[in-house]
Amino acid sequence: MNIHTYEKAWLVAAMVLIVGFIATITYGAVGPGIAMIDDDAGSIDPNEISDHERFGETGVEHLGGNEYEVNVVAQAWSYSPSEIEVPAGSEVTFYVTSRDVTHSFTVVGTNVNTMVVPGQISEMTVQFDEPGEYGILCNEYCGEGHHTMEGLLTVVPEDEFDLTELSTDAPREVEAGNETTINATVSNGMQDGLETTATLEIGEQQYERDVTIDGEGSAELTFDVDTDALGEGEHDWTLTVDDHEESGTLSVVSGTDGGDTNE
Amino acid sequence: MEVTRMSSTASRTYLDQFPAEAKVIKAAFWSSFMALAIGGLLGLVQALHRTDVLRFIDPADYYTVLTAHGVLLAITFTIFFLVGIFTWAVTTSLDRGVVDIRFTWAWYIMMVVGTILVGVSILGGVVDAIPTYADVLFTFYAPLQAHPAFYVGLVLFVVGSWLAGADWFRTWWAWRKENPDERIPLPTFMALTTTLFWYLCTLGVALSILVFLLPWSLGIVDSVNPLLTRTLFWYFGHAVVYFWLMPAYMMWYIMLPKLSGGKLFSDPLARVVFVLFLLLSTPVGIHHQYLDPGIAEGYKFIAMTNTMFLLLPSLLTAFTVVASMEHGARQRGGTGYLGWLKALPWRDPVFTGMALAGLMFAAAGFSGMINAGMNINYLVHNSWWVVGHFHLTVGTAVALTFMAAAYWFIPQVTGKALWSRQLALGQVLLWFVGMTFMSNAMHRSGLFGMPRRTAEPQYQGFNFEPAVGTVGEINAQVALGAVLLTVALAMFLLNMVLTSFNDDSDSLPANTYAGTLSGPEDSPAVLDNLKLWTAIAVVLVIVGYTLPLASIVDSGGLFGPDISGFQLAIETDPALVLESVREVMP
Ligand code: HEM
Ligand SMILES: [Cu+2]
Ligand SMILES: [Cu+2]
Repeated sequence: MNIHTYEKAWLVAAMVLIVGFIATITYGAVGPGIAMIDDDAGSIDPNEISDHERFGETGVEHLGGNEYEVNVVAQAWSYSPSEIEVPAGSEVTFYVTSRDVTHSFTVVGTNVNTMVVPGQISEMTVQFDEPGEYGILCNEYCGEGHHTMEGLLTVVPEDEFDLTELSTDAPREVEAGNETTINATVSNGMQDGLETTATLEIGEQQYERDVTIDGEGSAELTFDVDTDALGEGEHDWTLTVDDHEESGTLSVVSGTDGGDTNE
Repeated sequence: MEVTRMSSTASRTYLDQFPAEAKVIKAAFWSSFMALAIGGLLGLVQALHRTDVLRFIDPADYYTVLTAHGVLLAITFTIFFLVGIFTWAVTTSLDRGVVDIRFTWAWYIMMVVGTILVGVSILGGVVDAIPTYADVLFTFYAPLQAHPAFYVGLVLFVVGSWLAGADWFRTWWAWRKENPDERIPLPTFMALTTTLFWYLCTLGVALSILVFLLPWSLGIVDSVNPLLTRTLFWYFGHAVVYFWLMPAYMMWYIMLPKLSGGKLFSDPLARVVFVLFLLLSTPVGIHHQYLDPGIAEGYKFIAMTNTMFLLLPSLLTAFTVVASMEHGARQRGGTGYLGWLKALPWRDPVFTGMALAGLMFAAAGFSGMINAGMNINYLVHNSWWVVGHFHLTVGTAVALTFMAAAYWFIPQVTGKALWSRQLALGQVLLWFVGMTFMSNAMHRSGLFGMPRRTAEPQYQGFNFEPAVGTVGEINAQVALGAVLLTVALAMFLLNMVLTSFNDDSDSLPANTYAGTLSGPEDSPAVLDNLKLWTAIAVVLVIVGYTLPLASIVDSGGLFGPDISGFQLAIETDPALVLESVREVMP
């Protein structure tokens, strides 16, 4: 075949260019780049998401050290959870699946971008070095409300991050003179132990309690409240553990008004 | 050897030579223009709506509009034009008519019926009287489910195109009997190799529709495997891109050199290029699925490598086209290192349109290389960058080449002179300028995360932050570009309509295409061995696709884990949406 000299030169240059591209991309893929989404996370029956070990309960989980896992379910037209918080300096693995049609899970301005195909689980791992706020959106058409599908990812400074959950159980009304208690459950979602203080403020009174909870553990706290000192009337209370706060109102009533009721 | 037109037919138009075929081609071109007219107008509606310049449709209807825009332009406009051009190419270069013109009309009518079915089922999304739903976009990813008529229409259209291919093959076989020792003329060679990879790739989408989606939409099976049908779509979805592109390439190879005043640099290299497209167009589809779960990284890697090699025929084309243009310019007296550029016929809208289209294709090559890089793809996948990219490729390299070609072809098949060359010249320039604005701004949008296929990309919880410029400024450029494009489109259609009513039929050019500097006798005969190349193409597809498909079927089942269809409309199905929300609420 008769090939012109210039054509030969161009052919060679083109091949060099192509091989160069492949080499660069290969380097990017196995070197510092982020790993490709692949089939590692397996498949799932979308009808059984609610019973699935991973997606039964969605949200952030601590694996230990600076490693976290975030389980997300996408559906028309929202993410569960829609707000995600992780600490700076962490390595986060997202697992995402869909309950209905194909969506995407896309963290704007980052490499976190995956298709979310029903029946499949997408897995990707990312480092978050600096605190910041990122929008999450769906970039795969998923029905008429597609453009309303969004979420928010917040990377908070490491020392502001915990996975503590606080819940309380307190009477609304108590007869003056009776003893009563405000109970709290503090659970620690981190793998590391938690040492902190719980503070209850009610009226002019303040109670403090040191709490130590193992990793993945929880503690029950009981605060005995002196109703005599409070006196009759409505008393707002606040229970604080680190950044978490629960509050309510306790009414102390005179003996004839009623009993000790919860709710 | 100089293979310009046979002297017996010199200075005759295509209409003089093949009056029967000219009618079918004219019909195909007009079907194509109608799709372009409607689709383009819808494009303007989208651009204005998204950028919040003018919103007069409900956001939910946006997706009906977008489905129509995608189907009408990417499928109808391009393929109708293609069948017209290829019929011209085969009959002109073989210098014989089709074997049976009734067969030719039959495939054309079949494609029209398919288009109407698809069009009407999409229209059902906005017209209450039509009880169909097909807001599934041109990719129709399950488990979004369209009305069966939508799938049936697509099948008819594709089968029509298969029959068109059969028509070209029949014509060629008939010619071969009459000319047993001759090489396949280049234009026919291009049409046949393109048809072969079209058969190969449409097999995937035919399988997806006939075995899975259509029975599922009819309720015959209850479930599909969404990843499987999606993979079958992309098995077809990348090759279709080359299917649109091949008639444009054909124009660049066999018309542009002639218009420049010279000859095609090399016939053998042109054959090599088309053989490479036959081999590589299909086993690359997975590069559209870099971000899909359920497909192992290795398969994505293979697709990426093949994709990069697919750059080769395009780079070779760039060389040949530029070299041929330079040759033409020097024949016309052009001199100098770049000075020859001035000698090109820039006042000819056919030439200028195609040259500008080629220039935009080169720009598209750069954004395409970014897309093809597996890891960079994470940043741009499904963003407006991608939309910017394919408005350069199919929206300009292809569409502008077709419009420019129409300025030459419509006179050829109607026997009427082009109504206005000035208008045509202005039109191709305006399209180029409009697309520069729109596409550049879309690319920039993608870089800060602007998603594609999104009616109102404004979010409650966050704002986009472009590195350079503002969202408002970028949106304004998209809207401006869209308006210019629509004006250009109107200019094109006006010129076409007035040409059809033009009484002037003097001074029409003869139906010829470019000769070659280095003819087919310089190339090894094996290049014309279509059976061999088809066999290799099939092997490459088997190598590229067997394992990924097997693992998808293995993990998700052939029909998936009980995945039923969704038609997620805000007003029609609130119960379904509420239910899915309720389930996840604690
Ligand atoms: C008047 C000229 C045109 C305008 C104003 C226009 C505008 C647009 C806009 C704004 C979108 C983005 C929609 C979104 O992402 O939400 C779009 C998508 C698209 N356009 Fe165009 N376009 C034009 C011409 C064309 C042409 C000539 C073609 C092909 C031959 C084309 C093919 C497509 C395709 C395939 C899509 C993607 C559809 C999808 O995402 O499903 N467009 N167009
Ligand atoms: Cu979505
Ligand atoms: Cu979506």
